[in-house]
Amino acid sequence: MVNPVLLIAVPLGLAFAIPLLALLSKAAARYVPPVASGFNLIISLLLLPEVLHNPAIVSIGGWQPPFCISLVAGPVGVLFAAIIALAGLLVSVYALDYIREGATGKYHMLYLFLLTGATGVVLTGDIFNLFVFFEILCISSYALVAYQGDRSGIESGVKYLIQGAVGSSLLLIGIGLLYGQFGTLNMADLAEKIASVGSMSLFVPMVLLITGLGVEAAIFPLNAWLPDAHSSAPSSVSAILSGVAIEVGLYAVARVVFTVFGASSIFLFLAFLGVLTLLVGEMCAFSQDNIKRMLAYSSIGQIGLILFALAIATTHGVTGGLFQLVSHTLSKALLFLAAGYMIYRAGSMEISALEGMGRKMPLTCFAFTIGAFSLVGLPPFIGFPSKFLVVRAALATQETIFIVLISVALLGTVIEGAYFFRVVQVLYFCGGRHEKSSNTIKKEESDPPAGDAPVTALVPMFVFVALIVIVGVYPRLVTDVLGSAASELLNRLDYIRSVFT
Amino acid sequence: MSLLNNYAYYAGAFGLIFIGLYVILTKRNLIKVIVGLGILDTGVNLFLICLGYTSKGTAPIFSRAGLDAELMVDPVPQALVLTAIVIGVAVLALALSLAIRLYQHYGTLDLRKIREQRW
Repeated sequence: MVNPVLLIAVPLGLAFAIPLLALLSKAAARYVPPVASGFNLIISLLLLPEVLHNPAIVSIGGWQPPFCISLVAGPVGVLFAAIIALAGLLVSVYALDYIREGATGKYHMLYLFLLTGATGVVLTGDIFNLFVFFEILCISSYALVAYQGDRSGIESGVKYLIQGAVGSSLLLIGIGLLYGQFGTLNMADLAEKIASVGSMSLFVPMVLLITGLGVEAAIFPLNAWLPDAHSSAPSSVSAILSGVAIEVGLYAVARVVFTVFGASSIFLFLAFLGVLTLLVGEMCAFSQDNIKRMLAYSSIGQIGLILFALAIATTHGVTGGLFQLVSHTLSKALLFLAAGYMIYRAGSMEISALEGMGRKMPLTCFAFTIGAFSLVGLPPFIGFPSKFLVVRAALATQETIFIVLISVALLGTVIEGAYFFRVVQVLYFCGGRHEKSSNTIKKEESDPPAGDAPVTALVPMFVFVALIVIVGVYPRLVTDVLGSAASELLNRLDYIRSVFT
Repeated sequence: MSLLNNYAYYAGAFGLIFIGLYVILTKRNLIKVIVGLGILDTGVNLFLICLGYTSKGTAPIFSRAGLDAELMVDPVPQALVLTAIVIGVAVLALALSLAIRLYQHYGTLDLRKIREQRW
């Protein structure tokens, strides 16, 4: 069996090798991220069938749990590692051609650190280790948001950094409180000890942990940084932030709530928070004129839906939530990638500037349309079975409150449809007049080159399109994996037992 | 008395944490906000150290016979703090370098005047 440590060690080592390699040849350095994430994808796909029923526990340094830092490669961890590697691979292929300006070597290094941090968060079994990987993820994403060094990028980078740093400090205080109370940092050991004490003394650390992780997961009152950061970053970075970073934040929230605390009492609160996040995100997205800000707000909405589905806390609910998470990763990464070249050609981020793009760059616009339809939840794309599962799980609870909440969430979906269809209409059916707005992002290029996106951008986009359609038509391909991932999240006793044997 | 001593450390740590949060929330100058982040970090680190502290404790090394485990300082929080300090330095360095770029673009560090992005 392959050792899961490789999933973290190889990208980390390669990331540090990039600056050295860039000294020799600048062109070679940019091929490192695709190689590293391709390697991760292969390893995690090899691991996935083996860990489905029996998680692989790796004790680093040869100590036994709970004294060592352990990696828990269960279905959830390996599933997430595979998604991260898949999105990372496709987006890094896209970035080969897309990222041309500035210190490209540093971009590729930071990008690989981001992927390493994300993979580490989902695989670790130690709560302080989770914090460390989380910080690797956060610091590299602060730097990537500000990568272009323009006015808006720096401003949103600063905002993101300040909010993220406060969130991380709260997270660390929460971890400290847990360590003070229980004398352990191993999540399985914590979960075992937490089961034996009253809930009042756990309230403060739980609130601190959820708040700290919630900043990165963009749960409603903590998401002020997201629209700025996701819209000002280069499109490849937006794709990976929207497709991977916030999902990893949400994973960490779910892991803490389900496994560490087993806190069934706050599920209803989280469900409310999820629906609130959904409504706020969708309504703000509806009123945007800037296409990247619209996509960023739509990410907030999707995060809300996933949080709601996870908070249903039945097997179907969690399966649906994880499915929705996969579908959001694929669809939103595709949307940002397609939007990246549409903006590049149009010279503006305004939706009105994209009029008639469907004729100028048909393939890119086709990919964008597929992504938009999938996110709204039209069959036969992946968004349909995932949303369907969520709705079915909510109805199956037979509780009035969940039925009311899911109907509100479906209202959010209607809003989502309204603004995505508006963009698709602008792309294909609005007149050929091409007016430049004042908010042009590339002023130096007075005449942007015409034609479709280059091949390095089209290939990843159409791999995403293919995955969206294939999984949408045969959802059974993934439901087994998602089901056992859901049962890992829900059965904390099994998790504890698997770590200690 | 030792109880009082321990509480004094916790009070100091949380005092620093709240001062840091206050500075971040109320100050309008970016450099001051970053200083606030530094104070917050220091408070958190001090809090972690307090968790493992025992009065008149020694290093947890069994070098002499007759050393009692009760009298040893818990080494785990110290390891955590070392890591947390490194992370804090990285965040502060990144924040300061972003502040330099922000000043080059806007000619000011007043956060009230830097508001091009909004909901």
